[in-house]
Amino acid sequence: MSVHQPIPGARFVDPAVLARIGNLEMVAKTVVDGLINGTHRSPFFGASVDFAEHRGYVAGDDIRRMDWRVYARTDKYYIKEFEADSNSNFNVLLDVSKSMSFGEKISKLDYAKTLAACLTYLANQQRDRVGVVTFDEDVVDHVPPSAKHLDVVLHTLDRARAEKPGHLVAPIKRLAEHFGRRGIIVVISDFYAEPEEVFDAVGLLRFRGNDVVLFHVLDPQEVDFSFVEPSSFEDLESGDQIPVVPAALADQYRSLVTAHIEALTTRASQQRIDYMLLNTSQPLDYALFRFLSMRERMARTR
Amino acid sequence: MSFLAPLFLLGLAALAIPVLVHLTQRERKSVIAFPSLMFLKKIPYESVQKRRIRDWLLLALRLAALALIVAAFSRPFVRGSSVAAAPGGARDIVVLLDRSYSMGYGDSWSRAQRVAADAIASATPADRVSVVLFADSAEVALRSTPDRSRAVAEINAATPGPGATTYGPALKLAGSLLAESMLPRKEVIVVSDFQRSGWQPDDTLRLPGGTVITTAVVEGASGPSLALTPATVLRTRDAGQPERVTVTAGVLNRTAAEATAIPVQLEMDGRIVQTLSVNVAGHASATVTFAPVSIAATITRATVRLGADTPKGVAVQSGVAPAASAIDALARDNVFNFTITPSAPVPVTVVTQGNRDEANLYLMRALAIGEAPRFDTSLQSADALAGDAVNRARLLVLNDVSVSEAAAAKLVTFVEGGGGLLMALGSRASWPSSREAWLPAVVGPAVDRTRGAAAKLSGMDYGHAVFEPFRAPRSGDFSTARFYSYRGLKAAKDATVLARFDTGEPALVEQAIGRGRVVMFASTIDLSWNDLALKPVFLPFVHQLGRHLSGFREQPAYLTIGEVLDITAAEIAAGATTSAAMTNGGRTVLAPSGQRRDLTVNSASSASSTFAPGAAVDRSVALELLEQGFYEIRVAGREAGPMIVAAANVNIAESNLDRMDPKELVAGVTGNGAAGSTGAQDVLPDKAQELAQRVWWYLLFAGILLLIAETVVAQRLSRAAR
Repeated sequence: MSVHQPIPGARFVDPAVLARIGNLEMVAKTVVDGLINGTHRSPFFGASVDFAEHRGYVAGDDIRRMDWRVYARTDKYYIKEFEADSNSNFNVLLDVSKSMSFGEKISKLDYAKTLAACLTYLANQQRDRVGVVTFDEDVVDHVPPSAKHLDVVLHTLDRARAEKPGHLVAPIKRLAEHFGRRGIIVVISDFYAEPEEVFDAVGLLRFRGNDVVLFHVLDPQEVDFSFVEPSSFEDLESGDQIPVVPAALADQYRSLVTAHIEALTTRASQQRIDYMLLNTSQPLDYALFRFLSMRERMARTR
Repeated sequence: MSFLAPLFLLGLAALAIPVLVHLTQRERKSVIAFPSLMFLKKIPYESVQKRRIRDWLLLALRLAALALIVAAFSRPFVRGSSVAAAPGGARDIVVLLDRSYSMGYGDSWSRAQRVAADAIASATPADRVSVVLFADSAEVALRSTPDRSRAVAEINAATPGPGATTYGPALKLAGSLLAESMLPRKEVIVVSDFQRSGWQPDDTLRLPGGTVITTAVVEGASGPSLALTPATVLRTRDAGQPERVTVTAGVLNRTAAEATAIPVQLEMDGRIVQTLSVNVAGHASATVTFAPVSIAATITRATVRLGADTPKGVAVQSGVAPAASAIDALARDNVFNFTITPSAPVPVTVVTQGNRDEANLYLMRALAIGEAPRFDTSLQSADALAGDAVNRARLLVLNDVSVSEAAAAKLVTFVEGGGGLLMALGSRASWPSSREAWLPAVVGPAVDRTRGAAAKLSGMDYGHAVFEPFRAPRSGDFSTARFYSYRGLKAAKDATVLARFDTGEPALVEQAIGRGRVVMFASTIDLSWNDLALKPVFLPFVHQLGRHLSGFREQPAYLTIGEVLDITAAEIAAGATTSAAMTNGGRTVLAPSGQRRDLTVNSASSASSTFAPGAAVDRSVALELLEQGFYEIRVAGREAGPMIVAAANVNIAESNLDRMDPKELVAGVTGNGAAGSTGAQDVLPDKAQELAQRVWWYLLFAGILLLIAETVVAQRLSRAAR
């Protein structure tokens, strides 16, 4: 993971501190408000909001939305309506397999839940319909997208637990059929599967016209493999154990992880899917900022 | 080099443990939960890291430490002896066979022999066997030998004796035998009928550590069990008639069944005198009183016997129980032997000076009253001291006599020969100054206490035999006697002051000189200088003095087997004069079994052959009674001389066949309850064996040192690896 550059005005919040705050809404609000106040200009504005129609002014309407050109021509007050206010579906697909429970200071699942809450909050602020799906080897919880579902989504995220072994392909294939309406789908997982399997699954979502964003959440130890003592390593999901001498295997492990990430990045790029690697030791608003920056950059090029 | 516990060498297999630790376990100290082994499984695990032993020094240290500890536990034995030969080690077995007379009950003895022989037969050739026969005392019949046939032969040759069961000496003897043993395993096999009367818990009784005690209970046949209790003799004497005795015997029934019409017969000197019949209820006793019988002038051997007539001249002759009795299966306690001795007076000679009958009146009357013993008193003048009259007496009383040089020489010989001398000192009493040192005290001038308060006796030595009867409160008050005059005495260094006047001056001084004793009384024994003769204490005081100075000791009518007969005292009691009784000549003893043996003074007691004047020397001759019946003792070479007859009986307690739980005995000896082993097996039997096996200690110490070194090296290597 590369060292991030400090962003002027941004207030970075330690994810470990955030994890101790039980109220996801408050957490999301804290992060998102901080982020928006820091940037002043959100790339979301104008990216997905289209003009719909004019309507007559009524008392109480915001005069900033008055179309002065029409007034000049017709001498009547008209307000501009935008379609983006209620059109987009925002879905979060959260991996709650057992491997997500790993983490030293903060588990990957907690980090992912906070991230999902922040994104949902952000989307809800944009008046998108928000929904969430938690899955391991099957779908665990499913909240359909709705403009009024923010509380339900946050509650679902809050009670999500990593208890069972996971499988990426089967649940996503099943869910793909339900996402008929075009929208934004965010997949948050540790992606312990071969890149081919991952993109076989998320490709289905992309092919249906959704904007797919992959958040690859990893703990620093999974990336750095900074273990010292020779130990038996136990797979959290299968329970298998193998003896490991970290000093002897660390280099090979790190190269395999790097290769895995590169493969995911490459395949994501090929399929026009946004991919972002997140390290749980990094602040959440930094991750969000990077994500939004990337979305803006991608939107310009698409 | 051999090992006491070779099985521990199997522990050398543990040497593989450090290797395995190096190869596998060292890499599996803990389990780490990891999200996925997807990438780790892709790495080939069969790497050189796993198989290679990197820390050879660490491995060598661990292997060496383990090997040393295993070797220590296998107890290497440096001497190449047979100790480690047998699996588990050879045994040293001590068979304790009870030979008390209760083992003669029914067929108990033959069964006990079989049990003991079987126990010996179970021994292996590497084992050693000792045989100890015990009753009152214990004797080693066979000392630690691998020859089992000899041990069985000793068992078969043994017979039950007349003694009573006592486990203490036997177990102590077994303990001392095992303490000398070098064999690793020790065992004591007790074959007995385990009578409760034979066991007295003793905290000091402990067998060597690791000793296993096996008990074999031999139960006798069931049936009636009767026993005779000691008989009592009541003497009656009518004027002009020979002394008559009335014998009362007791019969004890040990069983619950009533015994009816049991014949009890009294035999005297081999003659059946009377036969009576008695009924005894279950667990009860009854007494039988025979009609009075006149006794002869000599010692009469009397026997009370349960059962029918016994052929004359067989058992009656020696007082031994018949081989088989119709009364019960235990014959020895059906006979009770005792002697009836005509009371023999103690010859006393009172020497006086001048014709002063009143001076001897109280003394002569007092001596004449004595019954136990009777005093045969004769009055002699001071001139007779030079004659032989002195030698016939056992007690000489000098009643205010001036002793000449020649008489003093005679008296010295008399006392040193064993006689008793009482010197009552009045105004006439004197002693040759040349022999002054011989006396217990130097006689000084008379002290006149007629003016003022008279002197009193105080400071009596109540521990002494003379004053012992007056020891208890209200047993006689000497302080009521008034002494108006007395001779000042200055006690010799070796003398004992038995009583003092209230001024602190000695009143009664004693000293043992040679075999005899001298007592000096600082005043007279009449009314001229004091009124002691008028006091109630005078009579018992004179009797005690006479008894003490004459060396009289009342002889019991019977003794129990295992007790010791004081032959000298018995001779004195039988009427022999002191000098005659204490001759240096030996004695001939005729045992009840008919065995005759000579008893010399030196061999029979702790007597010394020489003695110095003024030194008390115990010249008594003693004999331990080991057989049931009558012992005859007479001076060697004098068939017609004075004869002593002593009756020996079995211990009546042994006839009580009540049994104890053998576990009680085992617990008493081992101190660990019902277990048959004396606690710690690791207690070494003796110092030699401990020294021989000490190697294990050094090995263990070296192993621990290596483990410490291993810890240090391992820490350094671990730090270096990081």
